Amino acid sequence: MNDPVIQAQRVTKRYKAKTILNDLFLAVPRGSVFGLLGKNGAGKTTLIKCVLGLVYPQDGLISVLGDNPRNFLERTKERIGYVPQSDRPYPWLTVRQLVTYTASFYPLWNMALVDRLLKEWELEEEDKVGLLSEGQAQKLSIILALGHEPELLIFDEPVASLDPAARRKFLKTILDIVADRECTIFFSTHITSDLERVADRVALLKNGTIDFCGELDVLKDEVKRLRIVSPVPLPRDIPVNGVLRCELSQYEAVLSVRGFHAGIKSQMEQRLNARIEVEDLNLEEIFLELHA
Amino acid sequence: MTEESNFYFHIATTSGVPIYRQIIDQVKTLAAFGRVSPGDFLPSVRQVAQELEINPMTVSKAYSWLEKEGVLESVRGQGMRVKEDRISKKDMKERKDALLPLLKQVVIQASQLSLEPETVMALLERLWKETPHE
Repeated sequence: MNDPVIQAQRVTKRYKAKTILNDLFLAVPRGSVFGLLGKNGAGKTTLIKCVLGLVYPQDGLISVLGDNPRNFLERTKERIGYVPQSDRPYPWLTVRQLVTYTASFYPLWNMALVDRLLKEWELEEEDKVGLLSEGQAQKLSIILALGHEPELLIFDEPVASLDPAARRKFLKTILDIVADRECTIFFSTHITSDLERVADRVALLKNGTIDFCGELDVLKDEVKRLRIVSPVPLPRDIPVNGVLRCELSQYEAVLSVRGFHAGIKSQMEQRLNARIEVEDLNLEEIFLELHA
Repeated sequence: MTEESNFYFHIATTSGVPIYRQIIDQVKTLAAFGRVSPGDFLPSVRQVAQELEINPMTVSKAYSWLEKEGVLESVRGQGMRVKEDRISKKDMKERKDALLPLLKQVVIQASQLSLEPETVMALLERLWKETPHE
């Protein structure tokens, strides 16, 4: 049962000459709230589509809930909920009609939950889907993805068009779900403050591969900014591994490093005979440093 | 499990300090200040997660860390309790360390406000006298 819910091995996806995903590995453990981070155009949506079997990679293996996305069993599909980036099917239906229609595809459907969320998220049942605002449409597709109580939820930029209040409601809903039952949540985002609150694991997609994949707390422990103040001129090359960015003047240096641990500080202080302050970075700062 | 929620954690989700570490530090500080006493129950993982709107796993990670360190003990069916002998046996250094980050803040703020150390000490002493202790 400890198999990852999503596993990707050596996945390569090209669109014509352009390589989007390049020999990518990813493992999403069961029960995690997993955030996929990456700049615009990094390939987050492509990766999600590969995971869902909506597009096929040229190379590599993907397994989702132990099944192959290339031809998911009906049973597997019933265990997955997916909210695409923008989605507005059947604009002529009312909200209520779309709910009923969607429910008809699933053997199990929690209408009480859906009704409660529609009310909480202030969606009018008689409104036409086509006339909803971007934000409202996104709320509706999130609610529809929750109705069959899937054990794997995949969101592609779930909060992109939500206002701050709706974003909070969304995060709260996610947390209620993971507190109530075992559910794995995999979502892409570039809003790091939201991720910081709910995610326990993150993966950073950069240049078609996963640059970091693991616990958010570990990432925060490993990426630090060091402020070095030295009584004597500093060498041009500061002797430390994993430098992401470095600003150097004669007696002072500010550098961000990855792979940091407490030993590095004292080791460097001794070698440079300087004072070093270690600054914690939040996820947004880490994101920027890793893209420096 | 009746009066366990008479204190709250304060967390800053966008600070660089991992949230579980913020919780750990606060439990230790609360214990060091006597805001929680041995035998007191902490709010449940679920309560804390809901209140702070954070991942329950983060809270349980902090709690199990504190359990491993001997600050808390888990009581079957009742939750997490501050361990009996912990605080009295905790050595001086650890108790001092728990206070240091807060004091550091005070020093920074005081110097930004150009207050003399003596003034701060006097204030602290007055506060100490005014605050009821156990």
